[in-house]
Amino acid sequence: MNATLFKSNIKSNWVIFVFIFGMLMIYVSTAISMFNPENADAMQAMFDMMPEGMIKAFGFVGLGTNLTTYLAGYLYGFILIVFPIIYTIITANNLMAKHVDRGSMAYLLATPNTRIKVALTQALYMITSTALLMILVAGVLLGLSEVIWAGHLEIGKFLLLNLVTLLVVVTVAGISFLSSCIFNDTKLSLAFGAGIPIMFVFFKMVGDISEKVEFFKYFTIYTLLDTDKILEGSGYTLVISLILAGTSAILYILGIIIFNKKSLAI
Amino acid sequence: MINVKKLTQIYKSGKGIFDVSFEVKEGECFGYLGPNGAGKTTTIRNLMGFTNANEGLAEIDGKSCRSNAAVLQKTIGYLPGEMNMLDHMTGMEFLNFMGNMRNLKDTERRDKLIKRFDLEAEGKIKKMSKGMKQKLGIIVAFMHDPKVYILDEPTSGLDPLMQSVFMELIKEEKERGKTILMSSHIFEEVQRVCDRVGIIREGKIVTIENIADLNSVNRKKFVVTVGKKEDADTIVKSSFSTEKIDDYRVNVSAVYPFNDFYKMLSECDVKSLEIEYVTLENMFMKYYEGEEA
Repeated sequence: MNATLFKSNIKSNWVIFVFIFGMLMIYVSTAISMFNPENADAMQAMFDMMPEGMIKAFGFVGLGTNLTTYLAGYLYGFILIVFPIIYTIITANNLMAKHVDRGSMAYLLATPNTRIKVALTQALYMITSTALLMILVAGVLLGLSEVIWAGHLEIGKFLLLNLVTLLVVVTVAGISFLSSCIFNDTKLSLAFGAGIPIMFVFFKMVGDISEKVEFFKYFTIYTLLDTDKILEGSGYTLVISLILAGTSAILYILGIIIFNKKSLAI
Repeated sequence: MINVKKLTQIYKSGKGIFDVSFEVKEGECFGYLGPNGAGKTTTIRNLMGFTNANEGLAEIDGKSCRSNAAVLQKTIGYLPGEMNMLDHMTGMEFLNFMGNMRNLKDTERRDKLIKRFDLEAEGKIKKMSKGMKQKLGIIVAFMHDPKVYILDEPTSGLDPLMQSVFMELIKEEKERGKTILMSSHIFEEVQRVCDRVGIIREGKIVTIENIADLNSVNRKKFVVTVGKKEDADTIVKSSFSTEKIDDYRVNVSAVYPFNDFYKMLSECDVKSLEIEYVTLENMFMKYYEGEEA
């Protein structure tokens, strides 16, 4: 890894990080403040008045009276999927394809650093910054829950839920990163690097609407983020975590290898 | 030092470079001349290890440029043809960044270069003029005192004063035994500093010449401007090979010694006398005229 390059990534990408984190904070604080174990029934009644398909599409299902299941339903079905991918799509494109498209990659490679080192640094930045975003959000949620609703959060299960969410987000970021490594042109990099994650979200939303179109869930990675099964505390979490970790390792390594092999018009 | 052999790289458009071969010896300054789109940058990209050639080899110091790029970069100073830097940085931040990427601790040479080129390093690169970016690029290429320079149109965007500062620097580096490959489409600058020149057209090397041989050609071309039409006629009728440009201007081609030529001029009302000694340009044009035919 090259520390100089890593630091320069922080400088050029922190704004989008802070912006997405800020957006997430708004939702996180709203979610916590809206929770009330006594009037969870009233909340449920409010959701009952809305069209069922719409609620399901946005992942607000089975909120329940338990803070853990409530947060899982409110945040982990949609919000903690959509906002992080905005971050990962933009950042992945900035880290590789933009340097190649704009030509600044010529300067990076005109230094005694191998392509593998450069790409590995960018991959590590992608992974660590995404992980930091998710860990910060989880940390704030945990902190707020303990302060406001002390004892209500099942911390062990909550952490497992966050682990799987983190792995899903890092894997989806891996798709964007791979795309950014393959294409020399930002337009193409974004067509796939943004297109595929957005399609996944779309399929998840459609698949959740009704049982008739449930088959869409087989075409999206987000199906793996099955909050019910994770919170049950079965072996599902371990299996799915290993699958996700393996998949993302393949995506990032493949990206680095392709970048090392390809011909650059810079 | 630099060895390009039968290098071929064809782009999807059908353009590219075909069977390009040349060698630059250690301590030599090689000019790489050709119009825009001739394949100069494509050749340089191969020397930098950026592209995968279809055929042939590009080597520096006996090592393949593509597979040993990172090792070779320690000794290479590279100036890209286009100044696409990390725009969000200031000039100084970029210099520090590039220095750190190279693990360069000593900034003395860099700071001298900043002074010499009068670089305003504090401004954001985004806001810099083309010339200022070019100066920044030159400093990045020269600051680590490399053994080999690969410079893609180094003087483009520089004002005449900075061009001569740059030419001085090139001469100094040459005297210090550095190997230099510089591409250009300006004949004069190549003629001034380079030992040899390779001319590329439509992806193919047309000729490689010794500059010294070109400069030693005894035949000179003069452009004579006279005040009277009759004088122009006198010159045209003389024994020299001439070509009338208009009523008052005549091209005269003469061979050393020039006594007879000056004797003839002394009888005319000469307003100005220019020597067209850019033989390289003439040669260059010769190769280019073929393009249209």
